[in-house]
Amino acid sequence: MGFFDVLLQQVINGVSLGAMYALLALGFTMVYGIIELINFAHFNVFMVGSFVGLWVFEAMGFSGQSEVLYGLPLIGVLLAGLVVVMLATGFLGVAIERIALRPLRGVSGTAPMITTIGVSYILFNLVLLTVGANTLNYANPLPKVSWDIGQATLRLREVLLWVVSFALMLGLHYFVRYTKMGKAMQATAQDQEAARMMGVDVDRVVVMAFFLGSALAGAAGMIFGLYYNYTSFIIGYTAGLRAFTAAVLGGIGNIPGAMLGGVLIGLIESLGGQYLEVRWTDVIIFSILVLVLVFRPAGLFGRAAPSKS
Amino acid sequence: MSQYRFVRGGLKTVAVLGVAALTGLIGLGTAHAQKTVKVGISLPLTGADAEDALHIKNGAVMAFDEANAAGTIPGYKIDIVVYDSGTATAGQYDPAQAATNTKKLVADPAVVANVGPQMSGEGKAMAPILSEANLATITPSSTNPDITNPAMAAQFKPKGKAIYFRTVTTDAYQGPNMANWMHDKLKIKSVYVLDDSGAYGVGIADSFQKQAEKIGIKILGRDQLNPKEADYTTVLTKIKALKPDALYYGGVGQAGVKLAKQAYDVVPNMIKAGGDGMQGQAILKGVGFPAVEGWYCTNASPHTTESPEAADWVKRYQAKFNNAPYDDYTITSYDAALVVIDAIKRVVATGAAPNRDNVRDAMQTAKVKTIQGELSFDPNGDLLTKVVSVFQYHENKAGPADNLDVQAPYIGVAPETPQS
Repeated sequence: MGFFDVLLQQVINGVSLGAMYALLALGFTMVYGIIELINFAHFNVFMVGSFVGLWVFEAMGFSGQSEVLYGLPLIGVLLAGLVVVMLATGFLGVAIERIALRPLRGVSGTAPMITTIGVSYILFNLVLLTVGANTLNYANPLPKVSWDIGQATLRLREVLLWVVSFALMLGLHYFVRYTKMGKAMQATAQDQEAARMMGVDVDRVVVMAFFLGSALAGAAGMIFGLYYNYTSFIIGYTAGLRAFTAAVLGGIGNIPGAMLGGVLIGLIESLGGQYLEVRWTDVIIFSILVLVLVFRPAGLFGRAAPSKS
Repeated sequence: MSQYRFVRGGLKTVAVLGVAALTGLIGLGTAHAQKTVKVGISLPLTGADAEDALHIKNGAVMAFDEANAAGTIPGYKIDIVVYDSGTATAGQYDPAQAATNTKKLVADPAVVANVGPQMSGEGKAMAPILSEANLATITPSSTNPDITNPAMAAQFKPKGKAIYFRTVTTDAYQGPNMANWMHDKLKIKSVYVLDDSGAYGVGIADSFQKQAEKIGIKILGRDQLNPKEADYTTVLTKIKALKPDALYYGGVGQAGVKLAKQAYDVVPNMIKAGGDGMQGQAILKGVGFPAVEGWYCTNASPHTTESPEAADWVKRYQAKFNNAPYDDYTITSYDAALVVIDAIKRVVATGAAPNRDNVRDAMQTAKVKTIQGELSFDPNGDLLTKVVSVFQYHENKAGPADNLDVQAPYIGVAPETPQS
């Protein structure tokens, strides 16, 4: 492999990682944009999503990577899985909002944020206690198809990851920009009081933000399983922290910023690993988090909504 | 009629009371005749190591239960105290939890010995605390040589006496012997070395790397994996570009499962090998075929599960634990418990009451017949016999899917010096 083959391969790896971080970062950013709350339960909604995906594929009769599908049946199975997972985690997000966070709405200070950490631990331990701690082999109907570009390899699962992430992000973008609900979300993000006075049902908007954010996290969880062929109760931790960094890097509350932030973090991770050492990856990523917080607290792309204070 | 009933009922009550009183007396009687000693078992029963830890626990529990049932130690019954050194936050073994558990063990004066730990990372945290209390432990699987290295005694046995015994040999043999074996049998000329940042992983990767260099295998690079990280394609891509003949991974299952899965995608045809961290149910099930196909791994013990000495043991094990899987380290754990039982027995035979000091001294002078042969220890607590066995994962669809002897057959002994 020549220099450019390696570079291309690492860019492919990095963009794939980044697409996953971006999907996860969107949920953080949407909820923060609307109620200025960092939702740490999001990490583990992602993890639950990947287990729901595993169960769905197992229920459809897949186990391990031995049975594969091609063409339309593959697309059908993946879409069915995606819909079930997104609905399940979407409603999980709504339940978290309704049960744990709505009673605290209007409470100032860090109480709601601490509550999300608590919810995160509850999800984490529920999964640990019910499915156990073993790393599980993911049921995966994707065939092992790949294309060679020079000496770099582009695999089907990378293409799938890009297509699904891009489609979901595009869908979200149009939803927020052009639908009535989306406009209500933007209005709430700018000024909750004024939006309420204009007849926006703020509670519904918040529920919607949790639903969409959690559904995207679930989708990311399922894609994670298909991409890496495994899942475990602990996957929310690293991916979640990276995604959080991506959201801050892009400007928390800013939807396109979260997408770009995710891809940037993915690229830093893969190129840093190639040209420095893998063990330094975390140091680089979290140094960037600190630097951004110190010098550009609004993130590289700034906040979409003006600050309320 | 009603009176008759009353009388019968009354008699019944008396009879029941009488029987209860009698059994109570008998119960009290036996409790008085038989004294108990406590033995700890500390293993990471939560997290990525849990499944293999459970089989190790089974091995020790089986030996203690058999000894209690057979009355091996006259007048004494062994009580097992189990501690879990794995935590959800670590996702695998947790040295801090191992230290906390050891403090609890040490605080109970009835505890005379311990079986464990599974992992060297736990062992490093436990050894100094055990040394302070002169409480001996015997590990069926932790192989990092530092803990019993006399040059590091100040750190791991500040009180001077050996308190860390093993029924396996150390990575001072496991890593280098595997380097020799790969040099002899696989004719590798170059290798890329990875570890999982843990005490065991770094140690075995270092010792492998040192011996490989010494016998002329070129080291094309060395890197460290974060076991909580999901993605290793970056480092695997880097390895692919360097084209080594083989990849050697020192580490346990949490990183190992992911590494093996992703290596199957990125470098499917490269020779891949690991230590005993890559041997076990966690790898077999977590990685699964086809990704695990072809991986070499080692054990720091003789291969015993298929030996004639173990045939009867396997039957008893499967009857007791409902056909649970087992591997060589289930047997080293059974053997470790045998060493403890033998030590307590010899102390009791002298007429003394077993305590930490005399049980430790008895373990030091052990000459115990176990399934893997007669075991004795050097003054540091290490086994006098040093055997490293090599295995290779190879799918056998006809055999039971969770039997390591079938799915990762034994292929030989890794030599202490290169043969060719």
